[in-house]
Amino acid sequence: MPVRYAPAILLGRVARTLARLRKPGGGSAVPGLVVNTIAPGFLASTLNSFPQGLVIVTGSSGKSTTTKMLVAALRAHGASVFTNQSTANISQGLTSALLEHAGLSGRIAGDIAVLEMDEGHGALISGSLEPRVVVLTNVMVDQIDRFHDSDMVAAMLSKIARRATGTVVVNADDLHLARLGENIAPPVAVARYGVTAEVLDANPRGLGYTLTAPTRLAASDGMLLTGVDGRDATVSVDGATHAVRLPARGTHYAVDALTALAAARATLGRSFDVARAVTAISGIPPVFGRGEVVTVRGTTVEFVLVQNPASFQLNVDSLAPGTEQILVAVGSDVRDPSYLWPADTSGLGHVLIASGSKAHDIGLQLMYDGVTVDRIEPDLGRALDEFLALPEPATGVKTIIFSADSMRRTRAHLGLATNEADPS
Amino acid sequence: MTLAPADSLTIVSLLPRLLDTNGDAANARVLAQRARWAGVDAVVVPVHTVTDLPDRADIVVIGSGTDADLVAARDSLLPLADTVSAWLAGGVPILAVGTGWELLGDGIDLAGSTVTGLGLVAGRASVLPTRATDDIVVTTDAGTTGGVRLIGFENHARGYTGVAQSLGRIQSGTGNGDGGEGVVAGSFIGTHLHGPVLARNPHLADRLLDAACAARGLVRVGSAHTASVDDIAKAARNQVAVRLGLSSE
Ligand SMILES: [Zn+2]
Repeated sequence: MPVRYAPAILLGRVARTLARLRKPGGGSAVPGLVVNTIAPGFLASTLNSFPQGLVIVTGSSGKSTTTKMLVAALRAHGASVFTNQSTANISQGLTSALLEHAGLSGRIAGDIAVLEMDEGHGALISGSLEPRVVVLTNVMVDQIDRFHDSDMVAAMLSKIARRATGTVVVNADDLHLARLGENIAPPVAVARYGVTAEVLDANPRGLGYTLTAPTRLAASDGMLLTGVDGRDATVSVDGATHAVRLPARGTHYAVDALTALAAARATLGRSFDVARAVTAISGIPPVFGRGEVVTVRGTTVEFVLVQNPASFQLNVDSLAPGTEQILVAVGSDVRDPSYLWPADTSGLGHVLIASGSKAHDIGLQLMYDGVTVDRIEPDLGRALDEFLALPEPATGVKTIIFSADSMRRTRAHLGLATNEADPS
Repeated sequence: MTLAPADSLTIVSLLPRLLDTNGDAANARVLAQRARWAGVDAVVVPVHTVTDLPDRADIVVIGSGTDADLVAARDSLLPLADTVSAWLAGGVPILAVGTGWELLGDGIDLAGSTVTGLGLVAGRASVLPTRATDDIVVTTDAGTTGGVRLIGFENHARGYTGVAQSLGRIQSGTGNGDGGEGVVAGSFIGTHLHGPVLARNPHLADRLLDAACAARGLVRVGSAHTASVDDIAKAARNQVAVRLGLSSE
């Protein structure tokens, strides 16, 4: 690793310190910007230098959970893993995260790197990366006004997949990815995973993919998800059935676990031990809804992050039944309100406050779905204060469903540690 | 075949699986809810094939899909063409958004190829110099659509030519690409305003409902719930208007 990056790394660290003085816990993209500007090769050079290579996890949805599970499975096999846990998945954020760990040589300790990448940014920076394994989760209609349509998302994923030197791991139920897998040629291998017909039938709304493959994967062609019951799932690997405990209810979590298993095998090769991987994945701490459970102002709050129209539906569907106190906040990141309308939100039943700069648009969507909305309060700070001050709910926990922009504002308002970068 | 009660409105949603990229299929839900809030029963009937067709349609909506599905959507519409044609001849209100509108027209010009439409509505879709992705504000014609302002969102790469009468004039945005937006032809309305166009602009929804109820001798009554929902829609419209430097209502 060339020493020529040392000045850039030092400058990046100065920028980081300055950014934190201005905005504690935040401002993380700035040091990355500094380093990327004065040493544009730093990012790729560092990421390509891990002895057992680089693994990229990308796709519209499920990236974070899959990455977390894959890292747990690899660590259970004794691997030392560098990962972008802070979900710093844009190039500046990623460079900033690397800066946290890099010595002045630019080298980072670890056998292997596992990175979650947003499909858009991944396609932009992947040209200089040499990942050994690329893991593709799915193609959902994501952030409509940014990516226009699912074909563009599929094209970006294909661009990232073409960088793989070892294996591309694909979701065989997602028709875009199944087709992509057919176009991968030796020496690069394709590892497939998918759900059985029974699992698909148990999800009348489908799995959220833009296009679902017409046929299911045969057990001989890859790993299968054979059953989901609450937080328990079963998978079939090489003809043997294994029980997996999920971090939360929902078929999409079971698919994430299956994806992580297939990715772990692709990464570890002959040293992969399925029982060891299943145990590690089952040990992922529980999450509720999509997000996390926090204690703030003496009360327990569940955060549920909506990343795209399909995840909006999945999140609504997997909310604990009987959740009594719900706040929904949609911010300026949802520029086009049509984002909200493919979803059926009637299952929410009753929302106490609709908030965020798009409070009126989400309020309309909820009311036309027959949801009772007590109040529209565009001022998110005021909405949060009043919501958190309410008496404890008789059933469920206080639940805040928000878009990425509203999540950042919520964390800032409540003084919670910010995620370092764009969470998508 | 779906049978609705005699005093109920049947709202047909055409190809809601293929043509719902922007949630346009929700226009059917908006119409049904507004009817119910006004004391008129309504059912939404999704139609993908001729076997899904109800015995009667009081209002029809069709939405927008992705370009990859253009030919598949056209081929799915072909067996329904005679029925749609009969609805138009019978004065059934039809709201078509984006791709759905384009497919009912003469054709769609793509870079290097053309998709032939059903030819039920005059005009064709042709490539715009740049993609239009933004808020759109339209002032409708006082004679045909009441002279109101429509505020929505557009995201399309094609305009529309050969429109005899547009839905209105562009105040902000791109629309058809020639200063006009949408089309009004008899009971047919085509528009680029996607997603929650009827929720954000309830006067347009009520225009469709008025025509349908008049044809059936049904009477809608005002409700406090409708009024409160429409206040929220007005606030959503005003937010966009103010951001664009236009007057609020
Ligand atoms: Zn994304």
